Amino acid sequence: MNATEFPPEAREALHRLILSLADTKRMLGIRYSDWLLGAPSIESGIAAASMCQDEWGHARLLYAMLKDFGTDPAEVEHARTAGEYCSASCLDEPFPDWAAVVAGVVVVDGTLSLALEGFGAGRYEPARRRIPKMIAEEAFHLDFGRAWMRRIGEGADEGRECLAEAVESTLASAVTCLLPDDEEATLLAGLELVADPQEARAQLGRRLADPLAVLDMVPATDPPRPRDWIASRRRPAGEPAGDAVERARGDRNRALFVE
Amino acid sequence: MEEAVYDVFARKRRAEPLRHIGYLDAIDDALARVYAWKTYDEENWFEMCVVRRSHIIPVNRTDGPYAGRATSRLGHRPGKTG
Repeated sequence: MNATEFPPEAREALHRLILSLADTKRMLGIRYSDWLLGAPSIESGIAAASMCQDEWGHARLLYAMLKDFGTDPAEVEHARTAGEYCSASCLDEPFPDWAAVVAGVVVVDGTLSLALEGFGAGRYEPARRRIPKMIAEEAFHLDFGRAWMRRIGEGADEGRECLAEAVESTLASAVTCLLPDDEEATLLAGLELVADPQEARAQLGRRLADPLAVLDMVPATDPPRPRDWIASRRRPAGEPAGDAVERARGDRNRALFVE
Repeated sequence: MEEAVYDVFARKRRAEPLRHIGYLDAIDDALARVYAWKTYDEENWFEMCVVRRSHIIPVNRTDGPYAGRATSRLGHRPGKTG
C-alpha cells in the first residue's frame, strides 16, 4: 500500500515515523563521522567512515519517501531548525569516547535496525522495497559493534565500566524514541505498518542479551515514556546540540548545492 | 590488544578466481571481516574472504611476508629482525 491509501491520521503517523528514522540515521552518521580520526586503529576509522556513509545514504532514501506524502525532501533535509529534528535524544550530544561509539553501534544502531526491520516487513510498499538493502548493510555495523563490545568487555575493568555506562545512558532513549509504545505506535501496528511495540521491545531484549552479557548487563528494553515526551517529534524535549544540525543541513555549502 | 595481519581475497563474478586485493590489521576474525568489507568496498564483490596471514603455509620460500608466523605488516616474526 502507498501513503494515499491510508486514513489521514495514519498518514500523519507514518510521516512522523519516517522522519524519526531518517533524522536518527542522519544524526548517527554525524556522530560516527566525529570518529573518522581518533578511532583505535586506521581500520576502525575506515569502518566508521563507511558506516557514516551508510547512515547518510539510508537517511536520504528515507527522506525521499516523504515525497509520497506531498513533502519536499530537500526542504526537510536543508531547511529545518534543530528544534524540529525528530532524532533519538541519545544522539543530541557527540559520543564522548570510543566506548560510547561502540554502545552507539550496538544499542542505537541495533535498535534503529530493528525498527526498520519492522517497518520494512509492514504494508507500506516503498519501505518494503527500500529497507531490505539497508538491513543487509546494517549487518556489518552490528558485527563491528558486537566484536568491539566483546573485546572491551573481556578487557580491563576501566574499559568495561566506561562501556557499561555508555550502554546505560543510551538504551532507554533508543528504545523510547525508536520503539515508542504511544498511541501512534499502536495505531501503526494495528495497520500492520510496523511491528507491535511490545513485541519489538521484547525482541530487542533478546537481541541485546548476548552482546551485553559480556558486561554482565541484562538489557532493560521496556523503559517508561519520559514525562517531557513530544508525540509530534517522537522524542522527549530537546534537540541535537553543537554544529550537528548545521552539518546535517549543509549550511556552509548552501551556495554550492547541485541538486 | 595485539593485532594480527589478515590478507583479503575477493572476486567480482562467480566465474573468476579469488584474487588477493590487500591486507589489514585486526584484533580478531570478527573485526577482520568487517574491516575488509568496509575498507575494500570499491567494487560490488560477489565474494570476499579474509585469512589470518599466520595461517598461510609457505611452500617454496623462506623469506617475504608469508614466511613463518608473520604478525606485522612487514612480515617479521615477533622478537626477530630482518
